[in-house]
Amino acid sequence: MSATQLLALTPLAILGATALAVMLGIAWRRHHAATALVTVTGLALALAALPLAWRLAPSQTPLLVVDGPAVFAAALVLVAALVCASLAHGYLEAEREPREEFYLLLLCAAAGGVVLGASRHLASLFLGLELLSMPLYGMLAYAYHRPRSLEAGIKYLLLSAAATAFLLFGMALLYAETGRLALAELASALGETAGPWGLAGLGLMLVGLGFKLSVVPFHLWTPDVYEGGPGPAATFLATAGKVAVFVVLLRLVIATPAFRGEAAGLVLAALALASMLVGNLLALRQANLKRLLGYSSIAHFGYLLVVLAVADGLAMESGGVYLVTYLVTTLAAFGVVTLVSTPQGGEDAGALHHYRGLFWRHPYLAGVLTVSLLSLAGIPFTAGFVGKFYVLALGVEAGRWWLVGGVVLGSAIGLYYYLRVMVTLYLVEPGMRRRDVAEDWGLGAGGVVVMGLALATLLLGIYPAPMIAWVREAGRLIGG
Amino acid sequence: MEIAFYLSGLVAVLATLGVITHLNPVHAVLYLIVSLLAVAMVFFALGAPFAGALEIIIYAGAIMVLFVFVVMMLNLGERVVARERAWLRPRTWLGPALLAALLLVVLVAGVWRGEFGAVIAGEPLTAKAVGTTLFGPWLVGVELAALLLLAALVTASHVGRLPARPGERRP
Repeated sequence: MSATQLLALTPLAILGATALAVMLGIAWRRHHAATALVTVTGLALALAALPLAWRLAPSQTPLLVVDGPAVFAAALVLVAALVCASLAHGYLEAEREPREEFYLLLLCAAAGGVVLGASRHLASLFLGLELLSMPLYGMLAYAYHRPRSLEAGIKYLLLSAAATAFLLFGMALLYAETGRLALAELASALGETAGPWGLAGLGLMLVGLGFKLSVVPFHLWTPDVYEGGPGPAATFLATAGKVAVFVVLLRLVIATPAFRGEAAGLVLAALALASMLVGNLLALRQANLKRLLGYSSIAHFGYLLVVLAVADGLAMESGGVYLVTYLVTTLAAFGVVTLVSTPQGGEDAGALHHYRGLFWRHPYLAGVLTVSLLSLAGIPFTAGFVGKFYVLALGVEAGRWWLVGGVVLGSAIGLYYYLRVMVTLYLVEPGMRRRDVAEDWGLGAGGVVVMGLALATLLLGIYPAPMIAWVREAGRLIGG
Repeated sequence: MEIAFYLSGLVAVLATLGVITHLNPVHAVLYLIVSLLAVAMVFFALGAPFAGALEIIIYAGAIMVLFVFVVMMLNLGERVVARERAWLRPRTWLGPALLAALLLVVLVAGVWRGEFGAVIAGEPLTAKAVGTTLFGPWLVGVELAALLLLAALVTASHVGRLPARPGERRP
C-alpha cells in the first residue's frame, strides 16, 4: 500500500483510532462528558480529513476506493454521526449507567458506513455492511431494561441476519458464475444479460440491501424498530445507516450493465412504486410520530429507487441531492423527537399527543419540527423540494410515467399526514399528561444542532446551488 | 486424493445423519464433531489444507468443546432422551427428509449425466499463501473484521449485563 493510498484512508484511520481511544478510556475510567467529547472530536477530525481524501481521489486499494461517491457518503455518514453524538449526550444523561459504550458503538457504525460507501469489492461491501449493522444492534437495544428497546434490537438482529444470508448467497452465486469478487470486474464479467445464475445472484443481493433500506416488501421491521430504539440510535439507523447502503447500491447499479436490463429495471420500478404507495398509505393512520417517520422513510426510499430504476443521465446527481436533503431533514425531525424524549428517561415520547400544543410551550422547537415536516412533504423553499424536483425531473426525462405518477400520488398522500402532525403542534393544549423538553433545551449541544439543521433545511431549499455543484463534482469523480 | 474425498464426504453425511437421529444430546454432539472433522478432510483432499486446519481448530476444537461442556453442564438425563424419542416421530421428519431426498436425486442425476472431465484439481492453497494475501492487500479487511468483532463484543457485554439495582453503582 503506497503512502497516497494510506493518506486517502485517513478519515477511516481516524475513526478507528478514536474508537480505540474511547475503548481504552472506558477501561481506564468511565466519564460520560469526556467520552462524548473525544467522540465528537474524532468525528470532526475525520470530517476535516475528508478534503484531503477528496484531493487524492480517485485512489484505490484492492478492497476500497476513495472517489467522489465514497467521500460524499463518508461526509453524510460523519455528519449524521456527529449529530447523533451530540443528541446522545443529553439523552444518555437521563439514562441509567453505563452510558459510554454507546459512543464506541456509534464510532464503529460510522466506520462501517464510511467503508460501505467506499467499497469496490464484495468482501469490503460485506464487512462494511456488517460493521454498520452490528453496532446498531447494540445501540438499538442499548436501553435493554426497557422491553421496547430490547425488542427493537432483537428484531433488527434476527431480520438483519436473514437479510445478510440472502446477501451472502447472492454473492456466492455471483462468484460461482464469474469467479470475480471486485465489483468492476464482476460487472464486466456478467456482461449485458448476466444469465440466469447471475441474475439470481443480483436479485438476492438486492433483497439483502433492500432490507437495510426498508424497501417494500422488506419493510416490516421498520416501524417497530424506529419506535422501540432509543432516540439517537433510531436517528443513526434512519439516516447514516440507510444513506451508506443506498450509495453502495447506487454504485452497484450504475456499474453493472445487467441491472439496466428489462427484467431488472422492471423489478426496481415495481419496488419503487410499492414502497412509495405502501409507505405513504400505512403512515396515514399513525398516531405515533416515530412510527410515522418510519413509514415516511419507506416512502422516501421508494422515491429514491426511481433513481435506480432510471439509472442514467442525471441519476447519480439526483440520488446525491435527494440523499443530502433527506439526511438533513430526517436528522432534524428525529432530533426534535429525541429532545422531547430526553428529560424523564423511560420509553421515548413517540405518541403524537406528547407534541400537542408544543408550539405554545416551545415555539422554536415546534418551528424546527414544522420545517422538517414541510421538507419531508416536499414543500418549496425547503430542502425536500429540491430533492423531489430532481427525482420528478429524472422520471419525466426518462419518460417513466408510472413512476412519476407514483411520486406525485405518494407526495399528495404524504402531505395529508405531515400536515396532520403540524396541526397537532399548534393546537391549544388540553390538560392531558404529556412529555416535555427541558426548559433550557436550546443551550445544550442537541438543541443547537437541531436549530442548525432546521436552518440548513431552509438554506438548502432557498439556495441549493453550492450543494448541487458539490454533488455533481462527486458524481464525476467516480473510480473503478 | 479422490478416494479420500469421497470417503470423507460419505463419513460427513453419515455422521450428520447420526447428529439428527441420536436421542442423547452428548452423542449427537460427538457425531457433529466427527462430521466437522470429515468436512476438514474434504478440505484437505481439495488442496486447501489451511481451510481444513481452521475447520479442525475452530469448529471441531473450540466451538464443539464449548458445546460438549454446555450439554454436560445442563446434565440432561433420561428425561430428555424420552422427550427426544417422543419428538422424533415420522410425522416430523418425513417432510424434510423427502425434500432432502429430492435434492439428492437432483444432485446424483446431475453428477451422473454431467461432464466426467470435472475432476478435482488445482493448486494446493497453503497457509503461507493465505497469510500473505490476508496481511498484504487485504490488510484493511483484517482491521475491519477486528473492529467488527470489537463492536460485537461490546454489544454482547452491554446487553448481557445484569440490570443495576436502584441505588447501586456498577464499576
